[in-house]
Amino acid sequence: MSTQTFPVRSLFSATLASTRMRLLNISRYPGQLITDIIVPIVFAALPILLGRATAGENAAAVFEANTGTPNFVGYMLLGTSAFSIVSYAFWHIAYWLRWEMETGTLETLYLTPTGRVWIAAGVALYSLIRSIFSALAGYFIGSFVLGVNPFQGELLLALVFILVGAIPLYGVTLLFGAVVLKVKEANALVQLMQWGVSFLMGVFFPIAIFPPMLRAVALLFPPTWMTNGVRAAVLGVGYFFGEWYLDLAVLWGFLLVAPLFGYWVFTRVENGARRNEGLGQY
Amino acid sequence: MQGSVRIENLGKTYQTKHRKGLFKTERREVVALDSVSFEVNPGEIFGLLGPNGAGKTTLIKILTTLLLPSVGDAWVNGQHVVRDANPVRASVGCMLMGERGLYWKLTGRENLIYFGALYHLSPASRRARADEILKLLDMGELADRAVETYSSGQKMKLAFGKALINDAPLLVLDEPTNTLDVPSASELRAVVRQLNGQGKTIIYTTHIMAEAEMLCNRVAIIDHGHLLDMGVVSALKASLGRDQVTHITGVISSSAADAVRGLEMVRRATLTAEEGATQLTVASVNGKNTLAALIETLNQSGALIQKITPQDVTLEDVFIAKTGRTLAEDTSAR
Repeated sequence: MSTQTFPVRSLFSATLASTRMRLLNISRYPGQLITDIIVPIVFAALPILLGRATAGENAAAVFEANTGTPNFVGYMLLGTSAFSIVSYAFWHIAYWLRWEMETGTLETLYLTPTGRVWIAAGVALYSLIRSIFSALAGYFIGSFVLGVNPFQGELLLALVFILVGAIPLYGVTLLFGAVVLKVKEANALVQLMQWGVSFLMGVFFPIAIFPPMLRAVALLFPPTWMTNGVRAAVLGVGYFFGEWYLDLAVLWGFLLVAPLFGYWVFTRVENGARRNEGLGQY
Repeated sequence: MQGSVRIENLGKTYQTKHRKGLFKTERREVVALDSVSFEVNPGEIFGLLGPNGAGKTTLIKILTTLLLPSVGDAWVNGQHVVRDANPVRASVGCMLMGERGLYWKLTGRENLIYFGALYHLSPASRRARADEILKLLDMGELADRAVETYSSGQKMKLAFGKALINDAPLLVLDEPTNTLDVPSASELRAVVRQLNGQGKTIIYTTHIMAEAEMLCNRVAIIDHGHLLDMGVVSALKASLGRDQVTHITGVISSSAADAVRGLEMVRRATLTAEEGATQLTVASVNGKNTLAALIETLNQSGALIQKITPQDVTLEDVFIAKTGRTLAEDTSAR
């Protein structure tokens, strides 16, 4: 295969253009952006209302014993906000490929000399901007609606966990993108994936209640560490390794491995497509 | 060398799945290209002609690095299409999917600027190049409207403009006048000639033979993955070895066609069916003088003649002679 012939600065410029193009595109669907903000609030409201209806007088104490915080509402809201970032990452990467396959622009992108990793990075950056914006807006509006103080804890540290956790997350989504490229289907895959993901990353419950084997599987998944890091920073639920920097170090470990592995698998599937039917078939 | 293409024994075999009921499938191999070799010279307009499924698109996709060849080699602008894929991409302007390769929610200008970025133009150059292209194609009024509001022809023009964004020495244009009305198609062909006049090499596929005849210096005829013939348009026409082709429309049986083939002066007679009538295309050594013999033979064979159109040899005749059918027949049958 060929080597790059363009300076890195020019490639970053192409990445930013890819991000900008997608932001321009989504700005023409304002209703979609409003939905992005509402979804995590509605998603959190369901277990919150169920909990209030069924848990009884000692609910807060029982919940604190299991999670490390009595703030049941904040716990759910942070979980669904983090989940919205993870879920949108899968949707955006899967839909990027599927949508561009269907509109015919995927082949057009492959005709350009910009490597797919740079375009994918542009899509990931767009997705991150969009999902962090909607997760933060959802968190603050949800806090207001559900009666929680949104400014408690260490918000900046929580943001660091999100940003560091997002990079390996997008590495994992590239693996998922490879599957979409192969099977030429996104909807059913994302639907299936997001329920599995929400379960493993502990959106509604601490993974401490999992059986040991399942807990080990959950800990192999970067969003689990990201979600717990955010909750620990804001609500003080406790880090997996006791200290924030140790949990962050684990995320850095994922950061070094997951994107490279995702990219490796993606390029193999992509080359397979170029060997046979091409990338334009859908 | 800039603007050149060299293809050596290029072949492509697809693995396809054939459905055998609800769950059962059978794998088969389909040969889309078989040992194709030719060269395109810098500065020429080279036509690729062939019906749907002939292998043109496969060939173009290999040349533009979208597909990997199964066997053989190809060089575009002196760069190998597999080993030097990125330099090849940087040095080719492509219009392959017509209006499908555009972002419909973006404006025409935004589309061009975005693709300029992917071809690594600086931000200022992207904008300047987009302005130049919009001016060249007379699309200034449409530039800041969302592409989704364009007519089909306007989208095609913008897709053509996108192929020009990197100012490449080689343009690959796949049926660029599809869906254009007659004046717009004519304007686009004028732009193609203008670009060629500036030194750009152009590979042009079309199923409109008259268009290929008007534009192309040389053409290659591809069918069932094979290169059937290639050369300068006038030489290909001359290679039929005649100065006259006669189209006879009516009710003509295959035995009547055989009787015509038996005439001494007839080199080739091809029977095709179009819109309920049959048409016999007869290539003869001296058609004008043999018209009477043709009519007599057909009458004796029971043919009903409705129309006789003598005409000079066209590229369409060359195509019929090489493939045994018309391109329109092939295209409409799919």
